[in-house]
Amino acid sequence: MKRLPLDGVRVLDLTMMWAGPYATKMLGEMGAEVIKIESPRAWDNIRTLLPRTDQVEDPWNSAFYFAEYNHEKKSVTLDLARDAGREAFLRLVANSDVVIENYRADVMDKLGLGTDVLLGANPNLIYVSMAGFGKTGGDRDNVGYGPIIEMMSGLMSLSGYDPDTPQKTGISYGDPVAGLAAVGAVALALIARRRTGKGAVIDLSQQEVSVKMAGIAFAELARTGAVSPPTGNRHPRWAPQGCYQVRGDDQWIVVSCPDDETWRACAETIGRPDLADLTLEERRARHDELDAAISAWAAPIDGRVAVDVLQEAGVPAGRVLDMRTIKDDPHLYVRNFWIRVPNPKMHPYRKHGVVWRLLEANPTITRHAPYLGADNRSVLSEVAGLGDAEIDQLEADGIIADTLGEVAFG
Amino acid sequence: MESSPLEGIRVVELGGGIPAGYCSHLLAGYGADVVQIGDPGLTEDEDRYLSRGKRRVPMPDADDLHALLTAAHVVVDGRAPADGDAGMPGARQLRERYPHLVITSLTPFGLDGPHAEHRATNIVSFASGGIMALTGERDRPPLQTGGEQAFMLGGLHGFAATATALLGALIQGEGDLIDISFQECAASMLEYCAAAWEYESLFVERSGNTPRPEWGVYRVADGWAGVCCLGRQIPALLDVLGVEQEPRWLDPVQRTEHADELSAHILVFMAERTKDEIVALGPPNKVPFGAVRTPAELVNHSPLLERGFFDDGPDGRLPGRPFPGLTWVRLQPVVQAGIDEVLSTWGRVAEEVAS
Repeated sequence: MKRLPLDGVRVLDLTMMWAGPYATKMLGEMGAEVIKIESPRAWDNIRTLLPRTDQVEDPWNSAFYFAEYNHEKKSVTLDLARDAGREAFLRLVANSDVVIENYRADVMDKLGLGTDVLLGANPNLIYVSMAGFGKTGGDRDNVGYGPIIEMMSGLMSLSGYDPDTPQKTGISYGDPVAGLAAVGAVALALIARRRTGKGAVIDLSQQEVSVKMAGIAFAELARTGAVSPPTGNRHPRWAPQGCYQVRGDDQWIVVSCPDDETWRACAETIGRPDLADLTLEERRARHDELDAAISAWAAPIDGRVAVDVLQEAGVPAGRVLDMRTIKDDPHLYVRNFWIRVPNPKMHPYRKHGVVWRLLEANPTITRHAPYLGADNRSVLSEVAGLGDAEIDQLEADGIIADTLGEVAFG
Repeated sequence: MESSPLEGIRVVELGGGIPAGYCSHLLAGYGADVVQIGDPGLTEDEDRYLSRGKRRVPMPDADDLHALLTAAHVVVDGRAPADGDAGMPGARQLRERYPHLVITSLTPFGLDGPHAEHRATNIVSFASGGIMALTGERDRPPLQTGGEQAFMLGGLHGFAATATALLGALIQGEGDLIDISFQECAASMLEYCAAAWEYESLFVERSGNTPRPEWGVYRVADGWAGVCCLGRQIPALLDVLGVEQEPRWLDPVQRTEHADELSAHILVFMAERTKDEIVALGPPNKVPFGAVRTPAELVNHSPLLERGFFDDGPDGRLPGRPFPGLTWVRLQPVVQAGIDEVLSTWGRVAEEVAS
């Protein structure tokens, strides 16, 4: 494939926070022209979520959290709560392929931009809404961010140190998971439209996408009438498996022995050949003792050395990479995963690169996260067909802007 | 009924495992004809969930494999470099020999690099991607998320990437090889945490179930529930709690200083209510409340049933389409098939392609 797969696809991106922006940055990486639309009065909160330790005139243009998930996008501001903003937006819709948003279920209708209005502007549009609990059904008015989605999906009930205390994932897991499904939805809808000429309306529920990720537990429930309780870091079928402290400040490795052969290799490696011939049943019964043996071996060793030695012996093992060590991981370094995307308003730092490595189309990140309203004039003239005088009027009326003035963080 | 978006798309699943299984399950659900080569190495529950809607064939000989790959549009390749090639061409060789194919390679560490041949189970993949270091209580070891999430996440990435690349292949008439590493899938999802260390020297560690009073999980009368409020939602939360709107709660710096007091208010409020009562407070007050639901609760949850989320089939009620709006196929349990049977339909296509 010589060109990126979404080359020529135009996406109007009304998403905010993380779930939607994760989706649209993936679409951008795959070649779509992504036009991020924010209101001068209701911008993407991620621009100003975290307090800043540095003093800059326009902090909304240089927030590292915003920069992580908004590369490969253009920025347009439009106040969609006002008629002139809505009209300009619908002119953009008429010349776009996809509209995507992750508002609460009722917001688009309240803005006067319900599905009928959007399809009226462009009958072949692909419209993806990503409300937390969908636009229909009895939970549609629920409000939620990623951790709420994880709770409400059954996923959290599968995690925990013990069977009685569910544990949430350390990131807002429901967000990027929903974002990935939205990318799949856009791609499938584009494939279908290529054949039928018709667009699609996708009422994605972030909760449902996360429930889907817990699906194996539902199969167990259907077969046995119950779901196995969380087992911490242990595995429900094989042993031993666990997380063990190694040398250094809060440094850990995981070790996992899925069969007799790997356990035998593990026992030899940790200097306990006397345990090498334990059967699976014996290993399960003596899991605490085996954990203690692995811990005693690992504690004085550097995690990299411990993993190298175990892997050399054929034992699945890995470091628990934290936010410092993951930036120095030699494997990610060799694969050029962390990259610099120059942004004149930010000091240099490395962010994640493209995850879907299409070997020939070769997606790369060339465009840093956009400054607020940076593309107002070019997009509104070239895509919406507005003249200079009309754009001037929008600016004079505060429908578009490229600054936020004084903002409170949080 | 409209046709499924992937009707007429032929997919070969190689190597088995959860990531390839989940990726091609989603492709099958949206209408692709998926042929699974050999034993996928799944447990009974994994197999029931992930292999629905597919045909499973025995390992083909070289000629039959060639015929399958010639007729296919997509290969979902779950073979890791550490698994060895078992006499079959690797992902890169497939790309050279069958340039029309979209080949989605799903591996723990990618196809190259110093750890490419490392062996990995789900927990090893979860640990290597950074999410595990952020999960769990600070005074206990890092914790994996349940439900084989590193592998499921790899499969979800695979699905979205495959669908995207397939569109490109249909337009451009040529496929590509997509190298997806589970480590990188997770490492691209570290929220602000990885950037915070490098940009601000702010080291984010695991902070348990309740990193902040207004962002956490609490015990309630019949289980666990939670709240996740941004600054702008704090006033509404205070109203619900019946707590006066004072600067020590409203100001983010003061709120941190008085975190224990706010936690105590929320703790008591939650403990006196049930999960349903907490969740019901969310919509009218615009406060993000939730409850820890279990699969047993969700399987009969009427809003999900109203939306037609589940598939009811011979293996019971299982999560169905991830999103509505595109036709999802009624998936039947996996069918054992002979290579000849598959080639009787696919082979004709291959002959047409060859001619």
